Amino acid sequence: MKQRNRIYLIGSVLVLLALLVGGCVAPAPGAAPAAPTAPAAEAPAKEGGFVLGVSNTLVGNAWREQMICSIKAQARASGLVDRLIIANRNAGPTEQIADLENLISQGVDAIILNPSDRDALNAVLEAAIAQGIVVVAVDQAVSAEGAYIATNDQTAYGRIGAEWLFETLGGKGKVVEMRGIDGVPADTDRHNGFLEALAKYPEIEVVAETFTNWDPSTGAQQALDLITTIEIDGIWTSGIDYTVVEQFQAANVPFVPIVGADNNGFVKQLIELKDQGLIGAAVTNPPAIGAVGTAIALDALTGKNPERVTLLTPRLFDNVNNLEELKAIYAPDEQPGWSTYVDIEPYTLYNGSADVSACKGPGE
Amino acid sequence: MAFSVAMRNPALRILFRNSWALGVWLLLGALVLWYSTLIPVFGPFQITSITKNSLPLVYLAIGQAIIVISGGIDLSLGALLLLSNVIAARFMAGQPLPTVVLIALGIVAGLALLNALVGFVITLSGVPDIVVTLATGYIWSGLALWILPSPGGGTAPEMRWLFTGSPSGVGGSYWPPLLMLLIPGALVAIWSRTTRVGLSLYAVGSNKTAAQLAGLDVRRAKIVAYGIGGAMAGLAGLAMVALTGTGDPRFAIGANATLNSVAAVVLGGVALTGGVGNVFGVVATGVTLIMLNPILIAMRVDSNNAQVIQGVLIAGVMMFGGLVAFLRERRS
Repeated sequence: MKQRNRIYLIGSVLVLLALLVGGCVAPAPGAAPAAPTAPAAEAPAKEGGFVLGVSNTLVGNAWREQMICSIKAQARASGLVDRLIIANRNAGPTEQIADLENLISQGVDAIILNPSDRDALNAVLEAAIAQGIVVVAVDQAVSAEGAYIATNDQTAYGRIGAEWLFETLGGKGKVVEMRGIDGVPADTDRHNGFLEALAKYPEIEVVAETFTNWDPSTGAQQALDLITTIEIDGIWTSGIDYTVVEQFQAANVPFVPIVGADNNGFVKQLIELKDQGLIGAAVTNPPAIGAVGTAIALDALTGKNPERVTLLTPRLFDNVNNLEELKAIYAPDEQPGWSTYVDIEPYTLYNGSADVSACKGPGE
Repeated sequence: MAFSVAMRNPALRILFRNSWALGVWLLLGALVLWYSTLIPVFGPFQITSITKNSLPLVYLAIGQAIIVISGGIDLSLGALLLLSNVIAARFMAGQPLPTVVLIALGIVAGLALLNALVGFVITLSGVPDIVVTLATGYIWSGLALWILPSPGGGTAPEMRWLFTGSPSGVGGSYWPPLLMLLIPGALVAIWSRTTRVGLSLYAVGSNKTAAQLAGLDVRRAKIVAYGIGGAMAGLAGLAMVALTGTGDPRFAIGANATLNSVAAVVLGGVALTGGVGNVFGVVATGVTLIMLNPILIAMRVDSNNAQVIQGVLIAGVMMFGGLVAFLRERRS
């Protein structure tokens, strides 16, 4: 009993010493002694040397990874950013609040976040804004007062693609709507846009509606089932596109007009399969919204007073009228799931997919 | 020997007996100190932030510790947290303070009874704890989605103040969260070490047969342990609704919380084999696990590597504990 206690005691002291020593000999890069900084709220617009904080709560998702890389590329290309502090983990609002408080503690000049909840983060965001930190919510909105918001217009995404499809079909025919995840705001918005377009074309009939859960293999299976069993004149997809096109080839069924997103694999098909009768349109949903948010944050920091709300209207490239543009955005070196539309005028400063794909922030 | 002299001194003996718990508190102190050198200013905002954000995990870890000490393990605690969180968010929104307090008490008492019932089922059926609680965990997660299908709801500002020190949930005084962090942990720790029922948990967890032969009520010990686990999960859910001001029924939140509670328990020196450990130690390790993330971010460790480091740290501390046990065996 005595021996055991002694060994426990010695053990815990050793752990403690090891940690203390570890902490002392290996200070973090850029660690500074606790020196009070001037309150940012009263600080005049600076010229540069900013520290940006980034908060994201979905890891292992290609779109979100590209969003983070676009923030890095933009921060690097701007030349105004000294350092990016990135809080990136799978988490809910509770953890994101902790991450945001940590970014405030780190003394960042601006925070760019993809919010995990519209309302739950408001208190911490408003606390940051009160300290003079510029807050930009990208991809999804927050209701915090004083925050900048940069999002892709998801309603327009649904409407623009659907209108192109219905027009291409001559206003008449049987279509399939392949949606994303039921209940997710972006899916609801896109569906509403789809319905807006549908209302204008009374002779278009929706013969099937599926939820792909934005999963390529799920969407492929649904597409295969549909094209081999019922008669279809056109397909609208919520971005699960290239695996759907592959099913036409696998089942040896003639192509029908199809709407997808600006996924690299789909763009490639639109270019290469045009001769074999594939007609389609890519509607953009750029993860480079992260870079747009970064540009807005830097504009706000340098006193250029950007707009509070930036709603990016998607662009549509079809392989009938815009083949050259499709060829221009196609990125042969990237994965099929890569979003090819990365250069967003007038915000982005980097140069094309290669810069974003390098995923290097300032000083890296 | 000077050492055996020291052992006769009661105060020192208590210190020695709880040396692991003491060690993890000192470790936490060292981490806080280190963190304070990584950021420009360390003040009340940071203390409030760390304490309030630790509350859900700390409560869950206290509950898990009591259950593990009694020889069980509860994989449904995270799901119970979800259940508490969504009930609170759904029914507290827009209600006057007395109603909110009643709902809060009802949730803690209700979940304590619910989980005590699970403990009863485990003792009655003889099915391993891990199997029963895995199953009930899925049931509670499903119920949570049924009560609140998507994030929403709310709570009273007073409720938020209690757990966060501010009616808005951010940047308030650090006293309320600090007290809410220390008091439940201290109460459960003292109860488990001084009362007859509390001590019976250690006896049952250490050797069930011996405890039974010694005339202890094994079944009661287990039911009480699961009841406390349920109550702490209820408290954790309330802390979560206070932190965010909304409810969130997502399964992943509960699953993560369960895993973290086991990690905190293991780091806190509570043996998964039962019968050993100090509940107050897991309060420190719960906060430590929350602290790791900001420290790693401050050191600009990539998020993918951060998880690896977290895992290596847990494995390292556990292997160190194993080494200590091994040396002890060899000496005696």
